[in-house]
Amino acid sequence: MRPVILLCLLLAIGCDAAIDQFPANDVYALTLAHSRDVRTELAQRDVAEVIRSLFGTPESPVWPSEIFDGEAKSLVKSESLTAAAGPIFSDREGNNFGLFNKHCVACHGVSGSGAGPAAVFQNPYPRDFQAGVFKWKSTERSAKPTRDDLVGLLHRGVKGTGMPSFALVSEADVSALTDYLVYLSVRGEAERKLLAFAIDELGYDDSEDDSSEFLIEDADVHQIVGEIVESWLDASKRGVPVPKEVASNTDSIARGKDLFHGQIANCVGCHGPGGNGAAVTLDFDDWAKEYSSRIGLTPTNRDAMKPFRQAGALRPRQIKPRQLNQGVLRGAGDGKAIYRQISQGIAGTPMPSLTITKQESATGLTSDQVWDLVHYVQSLGSQPGDTLP
Amino acid sequence: MNMEPEPSSAELTKDDPSSSRIVHRLAVLSVCLVWPLIWVGGLVTTYDAGMAVPDWPNTYGYNLFLYPYKTWLLGPFDLFIEHGHRLLGAVVGFVAIGLAVAAYLKETRRWVFWFAVAVLLAVIFQGALGGIRVVQMSRTLAMVHGCFGPAFFAACVALAVVTSRSWRDSCPADRGQSAITELAQVPRSTVILGLVLVALGYTQLVLGAQLRHVQPTMRPDGFATIVVFHVVTAFVLWSVTAVGYWRMRKLKSCCGDLTLWRPAAALIGLVLLQIVLGTGTWVANYGWPTFLQGFPGATGFLIRAKGFWDSIVVTAHVATGSLILAVSTMIWVRSWRLRYCSQSASEVANET
Ligand code: HEC
Ligand code: HEC
Repeated sequence: MRPVILLCLLLAIGCDAAIDQFPANDVYALTLAHSRDVRTELAQRDVAEVIRSLFGTPESPVWPSEIFDGEAKSLVKSESLTAAAGPIFSDREGNNFGLFNKHCVACHGVSGSGAGPAAVFQNPYPRDFQAGVFKWKSTERSAKPTRDDLVGLLHRGVKGTGMPSFALVSEADVSALTDYLVYLSVRGEAERKLLAFAIDELGYDDSEDDSSEFLIEDADVHQIVGEIVESWLDASKRGVPVPKEVASNTDSIARGKDLFHGQIANCVGCHGPGGNGAAVTLDFDDWAKEYSSRIGLTPTNRDAMKPFRQAGALRPRQIKPRQLNQGVLRGAGDGKAIYRQISQGIAGTPMPSLTITKQESATGLTSDQVWDLVHYVQSLGSQPGDTLP
Repeated sequence: MNMEPEPSSAELTKDDPSSSRIVHRLAVLSVCLVWPLIWVGGLVTTYDAGMAVPDWPNTYGYNLFLYPYKTWLLGPFDLFIEHGHRLLGAVVGFVAIGLAVAAYLKETRRWVFWFAVAVLLAVIFQGALGGIRVVQMSRTLAMVHGCFGPAFFAACVALAVVTSRSWRDSCPADRGQSAITELAQVPRSTVILGLVLVALGYTQLVLGAQLRHVQPTMRPDGFATIVVFHVVTAFVLWSVTAVGYWRMRKLKSCCGDLTLWRPAAALIGLVLLQIVLGTGTWVANYGWPTFLQGFPGATGFLIRAKGFWDSIVVTAHVATGSLILAVSTMIWVRSWRLRYCSQSASEVANET
């Protein structure tokens, strides 16, 4: 290390690793290569070019509003990108720049892959924004979070994980960060979808042919990116309505307890009796499954994971169902949030959704019964719904 | 630290012990100023305030000392600490100038004068490094600046030690007092032990700086490796301090003012404190690591970005690191002196 430092001194031109472009999503490319049994270099090369020309670089990110219409144009504001990207500094008025590098990059990484420098020792790992899947939200399982969900998340943080609360960061900065995170997510998802599209539809899979013909058409790009942006705009329409709460009393809690330990909901199967976490589970989250069990590899097999680790993936880490009797919830934590989590499950995790029925039945629960479960869950933790002051 | 060989003892015997008292006082003053300077500098990094003032050597176009104090005191916090760091740094610079001048006028040992000059050059270099870091917006230079600071601090401590009165008094042989022959021989290994403490202490600072000034593109495995080294070295250092204490304890009876067992004992405590602060630093930044998840409160622990107490813990970790280096340096330089004295004492004894 010392020679490197001395070298820096001699050159006196900051020899910071130049971040002139976003790192490519090699893990996903390898996943595709493995599941389709194809080579992906050509597709990766061309997709990288498309993505760069649309979204710019970490130092000067771009929101490609020219290819969108209507609301999509302003989903991400370019001032926000200016404030969030690039080196950290602040101006005389106290405006801060380089916010993502300042607050997030050590964990979430330059491209939002979740494999930032400090990711290894964390459990759960920091979120990979590129898959476009989020846990703590008020919307349907398959929907994106709303803007309010994200701002709330940044304010609240996620207890018991590495995700900090940014309550002490100014509202303007949080807003810029939110935009940047949506930008990274859209960019990352576009890269993934385009790569899959190029390989599955455009004949980039032909390993024999190394013609360097550029096959990706603008129309397809606009279509794919457009759909992703649409899903973000749709989020506000896909909020999970929460029906009227049934009275929270010992009866409701007792009913909830039965349901929790009963056949239909079978919460006990994962969370253990009384939510004590004693159930034995061996499961992984969707981000890890994508490059392991979903493509026929064992997540715990080090040799099988090795190429993925070399491509930049983190070693798959078991996900444990929450120990509910500790009273620590990672989502918003209020009754409505728990209602939504129980009915929708938690996206990206094994926690399943329930079928909500009008009448009590053998296959689903009524909304009143879900509320009973909420009350039971709340009764398990000593301080349910504990949020930041 | 470039320690030049001790001049002949004849030179020293002539000299009046009070002559360089002013040099010693200035050296102590610089030590007392540099530690807070390291704290403020650490806060600058903790708050990412290094770029709160985009120009240098001016502050927003103003001369450093003419920057309106109201804007400074009432402005944003990061401007407050960055400009404060610059002002305090400038004060240390003036003290270093005074030190070199005083050493030139008052100090009879030429190597001490040159040492003072080296300290002055170092502070100039450090200031320039800080400035270039701002102008170039370089995180790497910020890291180098952060690593050089503690080295400078250690140099100030060494200067204070060599100009101290007890430094002179500790060598009766220098004054031809051959009568005192009970000076125990200080083995070479004790001096080497002091050097090992310094080396390990500094290695820890460099490793820590790698973690603190992490490059966004660093691979997670690289970061994890540095973390592991940093933690392992911490415990190695801690055991070496225990050995050091035991060694110094054995010298206890010999050396009057220059006893070293007290600082050696303090060092054990400091390294322990540093390990606790280091754990706190990790928790404040990244939460409870997986292997400590069983710790009470870990399950519901919430990291608060830019929390005040969190920043204090992190910065205290940085400042204590420098302190460990400084105390190690003191032990090393003094043990070296003791060895020198005990050797010359026995030579004198042999001659008579
Ligand atoms: C110290 C590490 C760390 C830092 C710094 C950090 N995060 Fe996170 N982040 C995490 C972890 C760990 C998770 C996963 C939490 C979970 O799965 O419950 C996460 C999850 C998230 C999620 C996903 C939440 C969801 O609903 O799925 C978002 C969005 C997010 N972080 C944004 C940010 C932003 C924006 C910043 C910077 C302002 C940031 N994070 C800084 C560690 C960090
Ligand atoms: C297949 C296993 C599984 C089943 C069945 C299951 N859960 Fe979960 N649950 C999980 C996992 C895994 C998590 C942790 C998700 C995370 O934090 O990433 C979780 C988390 C939770 C949380 C914590 C949410 C928060 O904000 O922290 C609650 C509450 C919860 N489950 C309630 C229930 C209830 C009630 C049921 C029964 C209807 C149930 N779970 C059924 C696996 C399961």
